[in-house]
Order: sequence, then C-alpha cells, then structure tokens
Amino acid sequence: MAASSLPNADRVAKHLCFGLQFRLLSALTFLLSLITACGGSPNPGGKPGEMVYYSEGGDIKGFDPVRASDVDSALAVYKIYEGLVEYDYLYRPYRVVPVLAESLPEISADGLTYTFKLKKGVRFQDDPCFPGGKGREVTAEDFIYSFKRLMDAKNLATGSWVFAGHVLGVDEWSKASEDRGKPTDYTRPIQGFEAPDRYTLRIRLKDPYPQLLWVLTMQYTFAMPREAVEFYKDDLLNHPVGTGPYRLKRWQRNYRMEFERNPAFHGQLYPSEGAPGDREKGLLADAGKPLPFIDRIILYNVREYYTWWQMFLRGQIFSVGISKDYFNKVVNTDLELTPDMVKRGIVLRKEPQMDVFYLGFNWEDPVVGNGKTTEEAERHRKLRRAIACSFNQEQIKETYAGRMIPAAGPITPGTTGYDPAKPYPWKFNLDLACKLLAEAGYPDGKDARTGKRLRLSLDMGGAGDAETRQLGEMYVNFVRQTGVEMTINFSLQPEHWRKLERKETQMFSSGWVMDYPDAQNVLQLWYGPNESPGVNHCNYKNPEFDKLYQRILTMQNSPERTAIYKQMVDMIVDDCPGVFMFHRLTYALLRDWVVNFKPHDFPYPNVKFYKVLKH
Amino acid sequence: MTAYIIRRLLTVIPITLGVLLLVFTIYRVIGGDPAVRLAGKNATPAKIEQIRKQFGYDKPKFFNWQEAAKTGQPMAVFDSQFWQVVRQFAQFEFGKSLQSNQRISRMMADGVVPSLCITTPIFLIEITVAIALALLCAFYRNTWLDRTFVVISIVGMSISGLVYIMLGQYFFAFKLGWFPVWGFEGVNYVLLPVAIGVVAGIGGSLRFYRTIMLDEMYQDYVRTAFAKGASQRQVLFKHVLKNAAIPILTNVVVAIPFLYTGSLMLESFFGIPGLGRMTVDAIYTGDEPVLFAMVFIGSVIFVIANLITDLCYTWADPRIRLQ
Repeated sequence: MAASSLPNADRVAKHLCFGLQFRLLSALTFLLSLITACGGSPNPGGKPGEMVYYSEGGDIKGFDPVRASDVDSALAVYKIYEGLVEYDYLYRPYRVVPVLAESLPEISADGLTYTFKLKKGVRFQDDPCFPGGKGREVTAEDFIYSFKRLMDAKNLATGSWVFAGHVLGVDEWSKASEDRGKPTDYTRPIQGFEAPDRYTLRIRLKDPYPQLLWVLTMQYTFAMPREAVEFYKDDLLNHPVGTGPYRLKRWQRNYRMEFERNPAFHGQLYPSEGAPGDREKGLLADAGKPLPFIDRIILYNVREYYTWWQMFLRGQIFSVGISKDYFNKVVNTDLELTPDMVKRGIVLRKEPQMDVFYLGFNWEDPVVGNGKTTEEAERHRKLRRAIACSFNQEQIKETYAGRMIPAAGPITPGTTGYDPAKPYPWKFNLDLACKLLAEAGYPDGKDARTGKRLRLSLDMGGAGDAETRQLGEMYVNFVRQTGVEMTINFSLQPEHWRKLERKETQMFSSGWVMDYPDAQNVLQLWYGPNESPGVNHCNYKNPEFDKLYQRILTMQNSPERTAIYKQMVDMIVDDCPGVFMFHRLTYALLRDWVVNFKPHDFPYPNVKFYKVLKH
Repeated sequence: MTAYIIRRLLTVIPITLGVLLLVFTIYRVIGGDPAVRLAGKNATPAKIEQIRKQFGYDKPKFFNWQEAAKTGQPMAVFDSQFWQVVRQFAQFEFGKSLQSNQRISRMMADGVVPSLCITTPIFLIEITVAIALALLCAFYRNTWLDRTFVVISIVGMSISGLVYIMLGQYFFAFKLGWFPVWGFEGVNYVLLPVAIGVVAGIGGSLRFYRTIMLDEMYQDYVRTAFAKGASQRQVLFKHVLKNAAIPILTNVVVAIPFLYTGSLMLESFFGIPGLGRMTVDAIYTGDEPVLFAMVFIGSVIFVIANLITDLCYTWADPRIRLQ
C-alpha cells in the first residue's frame, strides 16, 4: 500500500495545516486542557452493563469489501465481513489461522492447489435481502461468487491484484467482464475456483503463489452473499451483510458509525497461544473465551487533532494518536509516558510500523537516472550515492523525537530478509558524499564541465502539512552541505501521484506500507515491468533484479528465498535508485480501561479481541 | 421583465460551461489520470489501461477529430472526455465519487442540511445584528458608543476565526461543559459553532454596514429630511436604511450561494457532516467528480443569486428598470 510522504504515523497530524498560529494556540489550549481535564466520563450514552468502545474512525469508501482499499474502509469492513483466514492476533512471527475455514488448507505437493474445508453452520447476519429476512448458511459457492465480484472489471475492485495472474482462468474471466454494454455472466465458471461440495473450496493456481494465504486475509476476498448484491445493487456500499462479529447499526457519512454485536456470529474464541511474554502482560487472561467482548462500537469521524485530544481527555473516545506537536508534552525523554498522564489512567502504545519511507531517483532522469552509457551510468550511480550520504537519518530521528527507525534498505522490520545489523553503506557521511560527488563529476557540487552548481529538485506530497514542509527544509539543508542545491516542490497528494505516474519528477519522496509480511510485497517497487504508472515510481530497471524477482514469486518461504531477498536488496542498495530513510514507530495513547490490546501490523479485525473494563 | 429573466437564466449555460472547462482543464489536463486512482494500489499498467478504456479516459480530452474523420459523422467530434462531462451535467447527473463510489447527488443531499444548519443561522443573525448595530453607530456617529463599536469590530476582524473556534471550544465545551465538544445530534450541538461563527464574522460586517450607513447619513436627502422636521428614527429607518438597501442587497444575496458550501473550519472542528468538509476532502483526495459537481452547482446558484439581486434592486429602488 503506497503511503503518503508524511513521516509520522499519526494520520491526524496531516490535519495540522494551519501553521504557526494553530500550533501556538493548540499548545496553549493543550496545556490548559491538561491542567483542567476531569477524569472523563466514558461510555456516553451507553446502557448499564453494556461494553461500548468509542474511537475515531476516518472517512470510509463504503462497506463493499472489493473496494475497501484504504485503512479506514478496511477497518470498518473487517468488523462485518470475514474471510477464510486471518492473522493470529497474538502469535509472532505472523501466521494465519482459520476463520471461516475449518482449518488451514491442504496444499498439493506442487503448490498449485489449495483445498479449504469450510466451517459448517456459519450464517450471514439477518437482513431483508434474504427470504424472510433470515440469514442463510455460508457455502463454498459464496466464496466463488465473492471472488468473481473481485475479478469483475465493472466493479473496479482495487484488490483484483490478489488473484490476477495467479489463479487459473481469472484473467480471461476478468477480460470478458470488461464489456460495459452487457452484464457480467456470473454463471460462467472460473477454472481456478471450484466447489466440489457445499463446504469445500478449491483454488487452483497457474504457478506456485506462496503469498496466497497472506492475501486471503485481506478484505477483498471476504464472503459476500449474492442476495445482498442483487438486493441492494449500488446501495450495497451502505448495507453490509456479513458473518463477522458486528453488524452496522447506523452510519452517518462523514460523522459517525455505530456497530453492534452480531447475534448470529459463529463464535470465534480468544487465542490460547501467544508470543513469549504475552501471558505475563495479561494478554492470555481471556484465552478460550468467545468473541467479541465489546457489545457496541462507536466511531466518530473527528478531523482535527485538537478536538480529538479534548474528546480523549473527556473520555469520549478511548484512544488517540500523539501528534508531533504534543509528543514532548506527554512522553518524556526516555520515551515513556509522563507521570501525569500515567496518573490519569492513560497508557502508551508503541507500535513499530511495517513500512519504509524513501526518496526515489527517477531512473529516466538525465542527471540522476541510469544514464545512456556505461561510463555515464557509473557517474550517475556515484552521484546518487553521494546524495544518499548527505542525508542525516539520526538528525531526522532526533527531530521526530525518536519516532522512527533509520532504514538500511527497502525491507521492513518484521519481514523475512530484514537485517537490522547490516549497515547501510550510504548512511550519513559528508566526506564520502563529497568524494563521490567529485568522482561523479561534481566537485564541490559544481559541474566540472560547465562550472555551474548542480541543482536538483525533489517532489514531496503533503503540501498542506507543516511536518512535511519541515522535513523538506531539512532535506535541502542536508544536500546543501555537499555544495549541491536542491529545490523542493510541495504538492497535494493527488498532484504528487500524478507527477509520479507521468514520470515527471527528478527525485521524490514516497513510502510503502506492507500489505502482508513478505518482502516480495515491497520488492515489487523495483521490478522493471511495474514502472510508472505502476508501483515502480523510480522506474528502476535491472534485468538481473527482474529475473530474481520472477524467481521469488513462486518460491515458498525458505532459507534459499531469504538469501535471494538479500541479494536483491544488495542490488538495490548498490545501484541506489532510492535513499532509504526510515521505518515509522507510532506512539498512541489508550485509556487503561481498554485491555487485551496488542500492537499488530495488520490490526483490521482486532477490535473483537479488546475488552472495556470500566463503564 | 420575463424576457430579462429568461435572458439572464440563459447566461447559466456559458458561465457553467466556462467554469467546467476551467475545472476540467485543471484536473484532467494538468492534473492526474483518474484511472490510476481508480485502479488502486498494486495496479499493473494493464489494469490501468483497462480502466481507461472502460471509462472513456482513453478518449481525447476535448475534441475527437480522429473519430469524426473515421466515421464521417461531424458530431463524433464531441465524443471526448470534456463533452461527456458536459452531457452528464446538463442532465444534472453528477455520477459517482471516485473515492466512495457513492452517488454524488446523494452525498450532496446528505451534506447540505448540516451545512445549512450552521451557515443559515450565522448568516441571518450576523446580518440582523450587524445592520442594527450599524444603524446605532450611524445614529450615535462620532460618539464614544460609535467609537467603541469601531474598535471592537476592528479587533474582532483582526483575530483569526481559528482563535475563536479553538478558545470557544475549549472554554465553553471542554472546560465549562455548556455545549458538546463535538457532534451533530441536536440543537445544542449547533449553538456553539453558530455563536462562534457570528462572533467571528460580525466585526467585518459591522464595519461594512456602518460605512454604508454613514455614507448615506451625509447625503443631501438626509439633510432635507431633517430640515423638513423628520425625527431621527424616521430618517434612519425610512430614508437611510432604504437607500442603503442596494449595497446591502448586493452583499447579502451574493453571500447566499456560499451558504450551501458550509463553513469548512467550523464543520471540521465541531464534527458537522456538511458540504464544506466534503469539498475539501475531494480536493485533498483528487475526487474530481465531486469537485466538478460542487463547482457546477456553485456556478448555477451564483448566477441565480445574481438574478435575484437584480430583481431585488427594482424592489428597493423603483428608479431601476430591468431591460
């Protein structure tokens, strides 16, 4: 998932766009609110004995799983719909566990056929779309229908990539559905999806697809009843009908979403096994108990961090991110919560993010790109390395109060192939930067042939965001130390994407949030055929890298594959099509009456594990 | 007059066409490819191309000369992206949001009431209070009362709306608990944003109306009225207010189209699910159908509001004839 160029994890911070005036005011009122805040009156409007969870929820695209590609939509969809498998909530490293499947699939020896047995007796929630309003049992055919919806070109499903090119017959079926003049024929079978009986689902692949189980945890593949699609048509976005722990009670767009416990939920249990230390933290206290614990979830679409903070202190919402402006006031120099906040019953959540932020060089640019000749390629490579060496990650970390881990390559923490011990050869080193710059033909930052100073341009999104601007100014100062001038073009995010799509940048800032914990997901950013408008916005081309990428696509997780990942990373680091900056570390606050919380990189269904102790 | 009204209404066509052309150029020509946004993450070039074809984004932007030459049909020249938007909008068919896939007409219908719940009371209260105070200032011109109001209005104008919002929300909602901090679930939820909106805007309005009133107070007809023995009250309400009606009407009616767009900051801070938030979100996310629709509706309302202003002029000043 492409991330914005914001360095902080708190989406809320992007709203802090009113400049100094806002910041001074918010700091003032923040301090006032800390002094005068009452203990809070949680559970506003909740019935006695009812467990209600209040939180912030952003704008969503609606409740159609095949289109829910953004984080907020995914968080909403996971409350209502379910798929065959999901991530284990507690266990690390990540693994999948069955949800609507009875068990993990049986995989054929050649890795081309996955056979799932479905749980019996799982029912869709009651809804007027069913005869008599009574939800019916989920069958394998429901999954095949849902997979077809995902591949139907008319649905503009943003997640069709999960099956495209992998499952037998899906590409042909999808192609046939493009004709807008006639309705898509859902009776036409897809060779790769079979239902030998009511409770057996078989997925047949063209080539081994080791990521299949990971992608089956994603909302795109969730079970959707045909009746709901046909009954609600375009309005399906507003009328979710799933099997999940909750059902939608009320949704006021741009304002509020309310979910209530689904009485027909199939009775998933809280996990009994966790990672080392989970038991000591009390995370296994509810082992084996039926989910969900919370009766109602109310999500408010709060835009301004300032408002968000006041609601959090009043107990109207239970969790809040910490914006950079407030960070030093609630977290001390040891990166722990201040005693005052602890006294208020607030706990600190530290969540390392499975993401990477980088500055990319456009491989087709005449100055920083690959170059036309071998000699030019070598000079340009040295120039890119020199620029990389001028960026001081430690200073960035300091500026952002330690809320990031310096990156040494594209692979994110928590992913196979990530090696925190391996040094980044192009980390901050001004002497090396100047040396490389001279070798690239730019001694003291001036073109040796013309005597003119080298001027580069960097494109950044998040034009309205104070934090992005501050970061951009820091980047300019880093590069200036080598004698090179760099200008920054700030754009709103859509404009930034447009420039990347059209290969109109020389350098750009970007990021990638992992879709699943497999390095292949991030390595695709450097795969030649994925060049812009695909995800390879650097337009990096390296035939050797591409060959290895094609190889890993079909390899199961193994030491051999990990070795290839490392080889691919070495190629990228050596060619330096991007400067790897950091992985985010999110800090957020939570009321101590919310328990069973464990940070997770794919937290979408996790609210069903939470418990609210106090009312 | 009917001919005048029809003529003025017909100006909606070139104006909206021009506005659409401008917005289309900004977003579709200078801006990005909507197919890429629709394709979502991990999209392959093939998928993007498929969407382009499916939605006609592969067609020429303005005129399809190639198609016209190929088919021999002159009208085929309009088989382009821009004219497709024009055809759609001419039927008030705004399509669906790229972000949410919701029908834009429904999104607008959902958002207009919350926006109006905030902007209409602010608008009405602000005008009423500002005109009343302006008359008071004119009545007591150059006295301590007039000067006090001038100072207050200048101070009020100098303070950013953000200050009123943040301090108002902090003191009256968070600290004193007189109003909800955030939300839109009843009358008590709009009282504070409306009060803040009025206080934040009244300084400028008062200054504007006071200037108009004072201009009128120094006119010959006012001196004549006083000479004829008219009381201060008669002069103010019967003569001055009526003669000041033209600039007041211009100011007031032209502001009406902006009511439907809501107040962005108030909506944002107080959780009012109105059109202001929707429009700004559309700008941030590049949701061009929503922007096209908002701009289109805005321009139509603007033309109509101007027409209403002209009609009101004839009511306010019988010397004006519409031809």
